[in-house]
Amino acid sequence: MITRRAALSIALVTGCSRSNAKRLNVFNWSAYVAPETVPNFEKQAGAKVRYSIYESNEEMLARVFSGNSGWDVVFPTHYIVPPMREQHLLADLDHTRLPNLKNLDALFRSPVSDPSLSHSMPYMWNATGILYNTNHGPVPASWADLWAPHWKGHLTMLDDPAEVFAAALRKLGHSLNSRNPAELLAAQKEAIAQKQLLRAYLNTEVRDQAVAGDVLIAQLWSTTAQQAIDAAKHLAFVYPKEGFPLSLDCAVVLRESPRQELAHEFLNYLLEAGVSARIAETMRTATANAAARPLLTQATQSNTTLYPSPETLARAEWFATITPDAQRLRDRLWTEIKSA
Amino acid sequence: MKHLRAMFLAPSVFFTVVLFLIPLTIIVSYSLRTRGVYGGVVDPWTIENYARLFDPLYGMIMVRSVFMSLAATALCLLAGFPTALFIVRNEKHKSLLLNLIMLPFWTSFLVRTYAWMFLLRDTGLINSALIAMGIIKEPLPLLYNETAVIVGLVYGYLPFAVLPIFSNLERLDKALLEAAADLGAKPWETMFHVVLPLCAPGLRAAGVLVFIPCLGAYLTPDLLGGGKSIMIGNLIQNQFTTARDWPFGSAISLALMAGVMVLLIVLIRRDGEEAL
Amino acid sequence: MRPLTWFAVGIYAFLHVPLLILCAFSFNSSRFTIWEEFSLEWYRQMFTDAQLGEEALNSLLIAAASTVLATVIGTLCSYGLWKKQAKWLSGSLYLSLVTPEIISGISLLAFFQWAFRHWQFQLGMHTVILAHVAFSISYVVLVVMARLRTAEPALEEAALDLGANEWQAFWLVTLPMLRPGIMAAALLAFTVSFDDYVITSLVAGVDSETLPMVLYAMARRGANPVVSAISALIFVGFGALILISERLQKT
Repeated sequence: MITRRAALSIALVTGCSRSNAKRLNVFNWSAYVAPETVPNFEKQAGAKVRYSIYESNEEMLARVFSGNSGWDVVFPTHYIVPPMREQHLLADLDHTRLPNLKNLDALFRSPVSDPSLSHSMPYMWNATGILYNTNHGPVPASWADLWAPHWKGHLTMLDDPAEVFAAALRKLGHSLNSRNPAELLAAQKEAIAQKQLLRAYLNTEVRDQAVAGDVLIAQLWSTTAQQAIDAAKHLAFVYPKEGFPLSLDCAVVLRESPRQELAHEFLNYLLEAGVSARIAETMRTATANAAARPLLTQATQSNTTLYPSPETLARAEWFATITPDAQRLRDRLWTEIKSA
Repeated sequence: MKHLRAMFLAPSVFFTVVLFLIPLTIIVSYSLRTRGVYGGVVDPWTIENYARLFDPLYGMIMVRSVFMSLAATALCLLAGFPTALFIVRNEKHKSLLLNLIMLPFWTSFLVRTYAWMFLLRDTGLINSALIAMGIIKEPLPLLYNETAVIVGLVYGYLPFAVLPIFSNLERLDKALLEAAADLGAKPWETMFHVVLPLCAPGLRAAGVLVFIPCLGAYLTPDLLGGGKSIMIGNLIQNQFTTARDWPFGSAISLALMAGVMVLLIVLIRRDGEEAL
Repeated sequence: MRPLTWFAVGIYAFLHVPLLILCAFSFNSSRFTIWEEFSLEWYRQMFTDAQLGEEALNSLLIAAASTVLATVIGTLCSYGLWKKQAKWLSGSLYLSLVTPEIISGISLLAFFQWAFRHWQFQLGMHTVILAHVAFSISYVVLVVMARLRTAEPALEEAALDLGANEWQAFWLVTLPMLRPGIMAAALLAFTVSFDDYVITSLVAGVDSETLPMVLYAMARRGANPVVSAISALIFVGFGALILISERLQKT
């Protein structure tokens, strides 16, 4: 059984060999750093960064939940931060180690999820609106336009109960964070009615379908929509007039991390104006960093998809952390929508 | 000697007990507890999760999953039997032919599903070709419906159907077929009255080997179905991700596993362990 | 039988054409279905992505280790069960085949985390390999058992009568006869491990990303010709493996 022993030793060696140099393990959303962001930090801090990506909060949570996952820095969306806090997953942020916090835009200095920024650091933000093809049909202006029979077979919504319910609730005039069972039920009826017109529930994969022309109108995040618009001039984005949800992705340091100092160094690095501007410019994301805004190109600064005007933002509402009872109800309603 | 046999069985016993049965008891314990406020499990022990299974909503999901799996299984059998027959008739190249059936199976499952999406999209190859040939003007909606899911399932599990049928056909006594011909039976008659009945165990095994994974599938319905319909696999997946209701997810899975085990036991009793 | 041949050709086409088309389009310079021009751009991107190479290597290492372990353990187990039944063990192996992947993944994750609370281990390659061996054993047993059932116990008895001990009877008589079954089982175990996404992504930990995890992330983000390039390589690679093993078997 020599092969068996050899195989086992190879496995052990490859598993253990990386524990010696100064290390940082970062788990982030895909396409959220520029190509040079992490290598530059590695040079600056003299450390090696293990950088992995995920596609959804749940994927990240499943790995991090145990409190023994091995990750140091992760990037939850703001409404996941309070639950993570309650599960004792987050370390307190030492503001003395984060002098660049002053670079943050006033809008994000006191997010509802963490008003004193004691355990999370705003990173990039986005909003949800409507991406549409300018060559086909009337220009949409509200969520209600997503229910127009005209789009049958070429309409997609996000595969996310929070987003679909938000659109339906706003269409009916209710708060998109509503926990009222009657309102949620009414929103569910709308969603089921919409299924006749729906092509599919799709997230980021709709981007290429919109560019190719399979999909003519989609509920989509502003940053993903901007990436689609960059690829195809015939696409445009609009923020619905009934109001729309805002999300803020924040960086947090996990309590389990044995490298708190290095983690703080990384967070501070991300807050540098130059670094943030590079990421926002290259990856077409919207930065929460006010000092970085002037460093963006003129075209990007005036881009109303990524950086909507204050008048538009006045219609927006932050996603709230959902209560367990409301989540139960919403999940059940979502299952019913899917099986309708 | 008993010692040799014990030694041989020891490693599998270790793996089965430590890395399967014990983790499974953790799942059983999850199914009997309550979901935590934001995920995980907490203390009140309860059978509520199993009681929830009787809700007609889940019954409907189960029924739809069973129908789609049956459809995929039937298609696999219909396609698999002639294919297996073809391979048996080409004795010389049977190894190569069998391996060629398996080859797509050896590339990533995701990649294969992805390939189908590439073909079936409105701007995908099939529609582009049909439009270029002038057969249709508007693209056909080939993707994001239940038919696409069934095609995807058949594509993913056809090899599982071919192998057991082939295995069974190969062991058939050619003398029986000759005898039937000698007695004046036409080829079709031989097929229906002699070959198919003798092949029943293989067909049953193929059916089970396709049906079980189809029932638990979630990637194919998710990617090819556009998230519009929900099968048991998606439901379970959902409980462990967006819904964060691990106890309920565990209960559904255990119920599904119990159901499938019953099916397997029935199959094994009928054919003896020969079937699989 | 001409119609049968046509039908079989149709089935083979059904199985292979989508992959062949994907491979063909991996040479397309455009991301979409319209053929622009021949380009190796996506292959270049694939080969210059260092992390991709590392992930592919991880997948291969894990699959190799788990195949060797699962095949050995599974073969021994099949032999033991063939000699004398152990209903609870066979039942558990069947149950393992029937378990949804997410359940295997979550249960192993919970188990490892509970176990690691006492010993300072973390998730990594070793946990992935253990998990893969655990679910591969059933496949191996299934294949080897099928072969064993066509075997003649009389052969072993004859060897014993001639003075061989139990071990020799196994090693010199039964095992060689089982070789094709063992090769098939090993191939199956390798495939199942190389291709696994759900269980691996849950128990992988920080350092052990595998190819399916990356492919899944890429595919979820939309049309990506780099995925086609990777798949083309896998398809051709395994295809070559088959042809080689075909040649080897003929000798």
